[in-house]
Amino acid sequence: MNQQDGYADDIVKGFIIWSMVWGLVAVLVGVFISFQIAFPQLNFPPYLTYGRLRPIHTNAGIFGWGIGSFMAFFIYITQRLTRTSLWSPALAKAQLWLFNVVIALAAVTLAMGMNRSKEYAELEWPVASLVVVLWVIFAVNIVMTIVKRREEQMYISLWYILATLVGVAVLYLVNNASIPVSLTKSYSAYAGANDANVQWWYGHNAVAMVLTTPPLAIFYYFLPKATGVPIYSHRMGVVAFWSLIFMYLWTGAHHLLWAPVPDWVQTLAMGFSVMLIAPSWAAVFNGYFSMNGQWHQMRENYLVKFLIFGITFYGMQTLQGPSQSIRTFSAFIHFTDWVPGHVHMGTLGWVSLVLFAAIYYTVPRLYHTEVYSIPMANMHFWLVLTGQLIFSITMWIAGVQQAAMLNATNPDGSLHYSFIETMAELYPYWYMRAAGGVIYLAGLLLFLYNIYKTITVGKAQAAVQPA
Amino acid sequence: MIEKKPIIFLLLATATILVGTIITMVLPFRWINDPKLAIASVKPYTPLQLEGRDIYIREGCNNCHTQTVRPLLSDTERYGEYSKSGEFVYDQPFLWGSRRNGPDLARIGGKYPDAWHVKHMKDPRAMVPRSNMPSYAFLDRPLDTSLTEKKMKALKFPYTQADIDALKGKTELDAMVAYMQKVGNDIPWRKTGKAEVVGELKNPFQDNLSVLPEAQKLYAEHCAQCHGIELKGEVGPDLRDMDKPDAKVFATIYSGITEGGMPAFGDTLGKERTWKLVTYLKSVHRK
Amino acid sequence: MDSASIYYLGVTLFLFIVFAAIVARTYRKAHRAKGEEPKFRMMDDDQPKKHDHPET
Repeated sequence: MNQQDGYADDIVKGFIIWSMVWGLVAVLVGVFISFQIAFPQLNFPPYLTYGRLRPIHTNAGIFGWGIGSFMAFFIYITQRLTRTSLWSPALAKAQLWLFNVVIALAAVTLAMGMNRSKEYAELEWPVASLVVVLWVIFAVNIVMTIVKRREEQMYISLWYILATLVGVAVLYLVNNASIPVSLTKSYSAYAGANDANVQWWYGHNAVAMVLTTPPLAIFYYFLPKATGVPIYSHRMGVVAFWSLIFMYLWTGAHHLLWAPVPDWVQTLAMGFSVMLIAPSWAAVFNGYFSMNGQWHQMRENYLVKFLIFGITFYGMQTLQGPSQSIRTFSAFIHFTDWVPGHVHMGTLGWVSLVLFAAIYYTVPRLYHTEVYSIPMANMHFWLVLTGQLIFSITMWIAGVQQAAMLNATNPDGSLHYSFIETMAELYPYWYMRAAGGVIYLAGLLLFLYNIYKTITVGKAQAAVQPA
Repeated sequence: MIEKKPIIFLLLATATILVGTIITMVLPFRWINDPKLAIASVKPYTPLQLEGRDIYIREGCNNCHTQTVRPLLSDTERYGEYSKSGEFVYDQPFLWGSRRNGPDLARIGGKYPDAWHVKHMKDPRAMVPRSNMPSYAFLDRPLDTSLTEKKMKALKFPYTQADIDALKGKTELDAMVAYMQKVGNDIPWRKTGKAEVVGELKNPFQDNLSVLPEAQKLYAEHCAQCHGIELKGEVGPDLRDMDKPDAKVFATIYSGITEGGMPAFGDTLGKERTWKLVTYLKSVHRK
Repeated sequence: MDSASIYYLGVTLFLFIVFAAIVARTYRKAHRAKGEEPKFRMMDDDQPKKHDHPET
C-alpha cells in the first residue's frame, strides 16, 4: 500500500493528532462552563471562573481544533490537488511546534486573566504576534506549493484555501492593532464605537474565513473522495466563491444592530447578510446534487453521512443567520441564549461533522490501514448529533422564552418582569444544555478512541509487514 | 485564466474582500468620529476607574454583561437612557459585549450605593437570590498600581500626582466599584429621564390585607438586600414604623432617590406592585 | 428620489453587472469542458506527478 508515497504526510498526521487534543480541551472546558452557568458554585476564582474560561473554550475550539485541523487538511489537500509535494516539510514541522506553543500559551495567559477582551481576538500582543508568525509560515508554504504545482487548473478547494490565507491575515492584523503597556497588558488601538465596528467586522469574518471557507474547501474535496463521484458543478462553485468572499465582508455590523454605530452600516450589513443565502446555498445544492443517484450511500457509507449532515447544518445555519441579522428579529433574540444555540449548530453541526469525516477518511490512508470500527464511527455520529441538537434546540427555546419575558409589559406600559425574573427561568434549559454537552463529549471520546486504535493497529501492521 | 495563475488570483481575492472592508469598516470612522456626536460631559477615566476597568476586562465580565442600551422599550425601560456613540470615546477597548447572562451594565453608574456593589461582588446571591454570578470576594486584595501611570500615559488620559497617591491602600474591589459608578453616568440622564408619576396618587390596596403575602415576597426579592429581611436597615435605612404618607412612599420606590442611592423600581415593578409594596411597608411596625 | 437612493441604486446596478459578467464568463459555452475539468481530474491524485503538465 504505497499509493500515498511522495507527499509530505507525516506533518499532516501531527496536525490531525494535535488538533484532536485541542478539540478535546475545547469540549471539556465547554461542558464545564455550561455546568458553571447552571451551578454557580462551580466557579473557583480566580482562575476557574466562567469569565476566564469562556475565552479558553472559544479559542481552543476555533484556533486549536478548527485552525489546527485546517492546517492538516490544507497541507493534505493542496499537495494532492497540485499533484506535487509540499514546498518545505521542514517549515511545516516548525509550524506544528509553533502552533502547539501558541495554543498552550493562549490557554495559560487567558486563565491568568491576560486578555484584550475582544471576542476571538483575546490574546495579548506577544501571543498574537506569534500567531502572525505562525500564519505567515503556513501561508508561504501553501502558496509556494501551489506556485510550483504540476496540475495546471486549480480545483475549487484551492480557491477557498487561498482566500482563507489572505482573509485571515487581513482580519487578524487590523483587529489586533494594540497600544502595549507591558508584556502582559495592552489597549485596543481603536476606541468605543470605532472599536466595536472593527471588532465585529473581524468577528463575523472570522466566521467567514475560519468557520466557512476552510470547511468548504474540505467539503468540496472530501465529498467526491468519499462518494467516488465528482462534485455536481465546478462552475457553480466558482460563481458562489466570488459572491461569498465578496459579500461576507459587508455583514459584520449585523452584530451591532440597534447599537450606536451608523445606521447605514447596519442596513448594509442586514442586506448583505440576506443576500449571502444565495452563495451559501449554492454550496448546499452542489453537495445535494452530487448525491444524485448516490443517496443510498447515506445508509452504506458513514463518511457520506457525516458530510451530508454537515452541509445540511451549514444550509440551516445560513438561513438562520440571515434571519437573525434582520433588525426586528435581532431586537428580539439578540443577547439571549438563542445566539449560542445558533453558533453551536455551526461549530458542532457544520464544521466539526465535516472535520470528523475528513479525519476518518485520511487517517486510515495515512497509516495504511482500515478504520478500526465502523459501528463505533456510527455510534459517534449519533451521539454528537443528539448532543448538538439538544444543545441548539434547548437554547433556541430558552432564547425565545427569555425574549418574550423581557418584552412583556403591564397594562400601564411598565415592564412585567425584572431581568433576574427572566433569567431565573432559564435554569432548566441550562441543565438540558449541559446534558447535551455531556452526550456530545461521550461521542467525541468514542471518536478519539476509534482514531487512536486505527493508528495503533496501522503502526502494528506496518511493523509486521514492511512495505 | 485566473484559475491558472495563483498570484493574480490571490491579488484579485484580496481586492474582493477589501471592497466590503473599506466601505463598512474603514469609512465609518468618518461618521463615528463626527464632532457633532461628541458629548462634552463625557470624561476620561480616573486612575482608580481605569484600574477597575482593567479588572473588569481581566475577569472577563464582558462575557456575561453587555454595555449598550438599545433604543428599544424593553431596554430603555429596564436599564435607562439608550447608549450614544459619544459616550464611548474613551473606551479602549469597547466593552459592549454580545450576551446577557447577567443584566446590561451600560447605566449601572449611580444606580446603587457603593456598599451595595461591595456586598454583591463578595456574595452575589446574598443580594440577588437566584443569580448565577461567580463570587468575586477575592478582589478584596491590594490593588497593583505598578502600571497605572504607564496606562494613563498610553491612553493619554489626564491625571495628577495626587490621583496616583490616592491609590495607596485601595483594593481591587474599590477600583471595580469606582469603575461601576462611572459607567454610563457621564450624561445627566437620571435627572431628565426619571420615571415621572402622573395622575392621582391614591393607594388602591389601602388596608387590603389580602395583598400582604404577595407584597412580602416582592419585598424579599427587591428590597431585603439593602433594607434587611426584617426591615431593620443595612445598606439602606430602617423602614419599620413608616410614617410617611402612602403617596410619598410610592414616589420613592417608583422613582428612587438619586442622591441617596435608592434605585428607581418603577420600571421593574410597575404601579400595581409598587402600591402593594407600599401597603406592606405601612403594615410593619416595631414590636 | 434623493441623491443617497440614486447612489444606492447605482452601486447595486454596478454590482449586479459585475455579477452577471462573472456568471456569463464562467458559464460561456466555449468554457464548458474546461470549467468542469478540475472536478474530474481531482478524483485521481494519489501520487505526485513527475513532470509539469505532461498532458498539455
